[in-house]
Amino acid sequence: MKKERSKKYRIIQAFRILSQAIFFSLFIYLLLQTRFPGEDYIGQVETFFHFDPLLALATFIASRTVFFSFIFAAATILITFVLGRVVCGWVCPLGTIHQFFSFIFKKAKLLKPKKNPAGPLSWKYYFLIFLLASTLLTLDLVGIFDPLSLLYRSFAGSVLPALRYSFNALIDLFYKLKLLSIGDSLVQFLERLAINTTFFQGFFIGAIFIGLVLLNLTRERLWCRYLCPLGAFLGLISRWNVLKLRIDPQRCIECRLCTIHCQTEATPFPNEEWKSSECDYCFTCSSICPTDAIRFPLKPAPEDVKQVNLSRRKLIFTSLLGAIAVPFFRFSPSSRHSSPKLIRPPGALPEEKFLQKCVRCGECMKVCPTNALQPALSEAGPEGLWTPMLVPKIGYCEYYCSLCSQVCPTGAIKELTVPEKIKVVIGTAWVDKNRCIPYSMGTPCIVCEEHCPTSPKAIKLVNAEVKLPDGTIKSPACPVVVIDLCIGCGICENKCPVVDKPAIYVTSVGESRSDKNQVLLDIFLPEELE
Amino acid sequence: MKRRAFLKEVTRGSLLLGLSPSLFAQEKSFPDLTLVQGDSPGAITREAILALGGIKRFISKGDVVVVKPNIGWDRAPEQAACTNPDVVKTLVELSFEAGAKEVKVMDNPCNPAQRTYARSGIAQAAKDAGAKVLFPNRHRLKKMALRGEWLKEWEVFTDFVQADKIINVPIAKIHSLSRLTMGMKNWLGALGGNRNQLHQRLDQAMIDLSAFFKPCLTLLDGFRILIRNGPQGGRLSDAKLFKTVVAGVDYVAVDAMGASFFGIDPEQLPFLEVAHQKGFGQIHLEQLTIEKRTV
Repeated sequence: MKKERSKKYRIIQAFRILSQAIFFSLFIYLLLQTRFPGEDYIGQVETFFHFDPLLALATFIASRTVFFSFIFAAATILITFVLGRVVCGWVCPLGTIHQFFSFIFKKAKLLKPKKNPAGPLSWKYYFLIFLLASTLLTLDLVGIFDPLSLLYRSFAGSVLPALRYSFNALIDLFYKLKLLSIGDSLVQFLERLAINTTFFQGFFIGAIFIGLVLLNLTRERLWCRYLCPLGAFLGLISRWNVLKLRIDPQRCIECRLCTIHCQTEATPFPNEEWKSSECDYCFTCSSICPTDAIRFPLKPAPEDVKQVNLSRRKLIFTSLLGAIAVPFFRFSPSSRHSSPKLIRPPGALPEEKFLQKCVRCGECMKVCPTNALQPALSEAGPEGLWTPMLVPKIGYCEYYCSLCSQVCPTGAIKELTVPEKIKVVIGTAWVDKNRCIPYSMGTPCIVCEEHCPTSPKAIKLVNAEVKLPDGTIKSPACPVVVIDLCIGCGICENKCPVVDKPAIYVTSVGESRSDKNQVLLDIFLPEELE
Repeated sequence: MKRRAFLKEVTRGSLLLGLSPSLFAQEKSFPDLTLVQGDSPGAITREAILALGGIKRFISKGDVVVVKPNIGWDRAPEQAACTNPDVVKTLVELSFEAGAKEVKVMDNPCNPAQRTYARSGIAQAAKDAGAKVLFPNRHRLKKMALRGEWLKEWEVFTDFVQADKIINVPIAKIHSLSRLTMGMKNWLGALGGNRNQLHQRLDQAMIDLSAFFKPCLTLLDGFRILIRNGPQGGRLSDAKLFKTVVAGVDYVAVDAMGASFFGIDPEQLPFLEVAHQKGFGQIHLEQLTIEKRTV
């Protein structure tokens, strides 16, 4: 018998790698395009998310509302229904990263594929059930673990900032070497990319991402095999797909190469052990087979394919766990009471609805022109982990910008036009007279008033008497916040010259989205200010 | 300018002067200020420079020119918070007509540069005219000895110091601390560092900075002036269509003229009064030759 690898499947494999490269590049391209485009409205840079059926399902169940853009997820479901988990093998950018590193680790002999992997394939299914059970009870944690969301958040909040820092070091070097023109053009190029570099959680988000990549040292594509909830979801609906693996027993020499190198532990050999729900159709097995014994014939007829063993007991147990998680994530007061620091982006739905819809992808944080939007840690309670909040000390809400509301893939931040946005109040500014330069030292300043973007300004200057240490009295122009006009954008806090702890600061009170988080019963505009 | 080129020019210039005293006389006859009014920001800018002796009086062949507009805010031209884009564009065009090798347009804005450069229309207008529009580059910041009365040293973008020629092109706006912001205040945009601290003695900072930067020409954009809610405005009614530009070498005089747009006596503005006392320029408009034109 002729011993030869299949040319056909090697070509298919090459196409698969090409497809991965294209989709990964597209993902990165859209990521980099998620920035101020030079005009008020940005295109569909968040499209990737709309093809994600898990996010579609979870936000639909948790919020009990339909978000029309998720219609594209139907395409992913349909493809998976017919062809199995091809999306995992050919499209998913996180899968591509894992596979790329698995490949590198294998080449570097850091990862030695096991003869009999037999890992906990069922974990991801239980995990999915856990997540969906809590989603059913309105707690939406899916976004933390969804692969697209995870990847986007990791790149926007950690990988890109780290790259930007490295580039800065490189640029420093160019300037030190007096290669000024190279330095200049690199700086201008990077400025145009407008990458936000400051993220509170950047270290942890990055550490988790690197950790997940390093897991590939133990098993190829470990995340995809055992953990990915989207992979589990697609696995569940792929049972009836038409692409079935067949090993020609005449040709097979039982070398087990296919099973050893199977990326996702679908166990091609022995044939009856092959699990279609685990196969991501990378065609590694069929192209690696030394005798060209593996085929993927179309078999539309349903047949009994081996499944991952899921125990009914554990399924019930994990769904109960999902239910228990709901109060557990919520008994902290911060999740339902207004927290002063929890300044949500303009257009954010009322907190309860917002938490049900936000998938923590980080699109809003990427697009924010001032780096103001930060992933929350505990400010929104445990359930609000990595949801966006505005931190005025880092950045402020740019007056004529509604980009975060435009890129939000789930409508957790309601899409706003610029004229709509400038009417939205996200908080209120307060003067700390003890620290304010004119109030406490009698020295002129007015920086907050100068930067206040509303017209008329929400900060008025009033001459107040200040007693200085030597007893003399001065009456400098001091800032007073006009609460009816303040939108809480935070530029005053951001630009305050008292840099460590600004003498004017914004808290969430007065935010348009809440009935309860308000100060005054009657809001009216004094006529002279109109 | 290279030393050799400089020496050459000086020699050539003195020879020419020696040969024809009439040239020197002509130099004297330029007005101190030109004030031009009209419907087109570009046309009045061009006319103002022409009336001042033409662009070649200021820009020489081969010069690297920096045009310094006010691009401080994420605001559209109608809102009169940033210099009019057509005014900037015309100055870039004129510089190239005079043989400039390179024209850079830049500012260190208050809102993110990507936004202010775009919304003000200045980036596109300046690029269309062939200028390099540069985002502020912190690698080009250098702590420099300003030797001012108050500001001894500060971080300055070296582009403004290394250029052969600088054209200062501010817009006239009201401001709640210095009352008005025009040419002298515009230099805050050439700085890095904690600029907001400069407000603690803003008038003195403006004077110290004006003594440091050496514009060959100041053109004040008064096509639209900001009369309320400065320095950003917002509502279209905060801006007033004034259809005027003022140009001059004496930047104090230019600002003094600008004060009159708002009906403010220049002597009431501390930064102008002190600048005048220090001999930086003239604030008594009656002592200036002002050429007024309409196009």
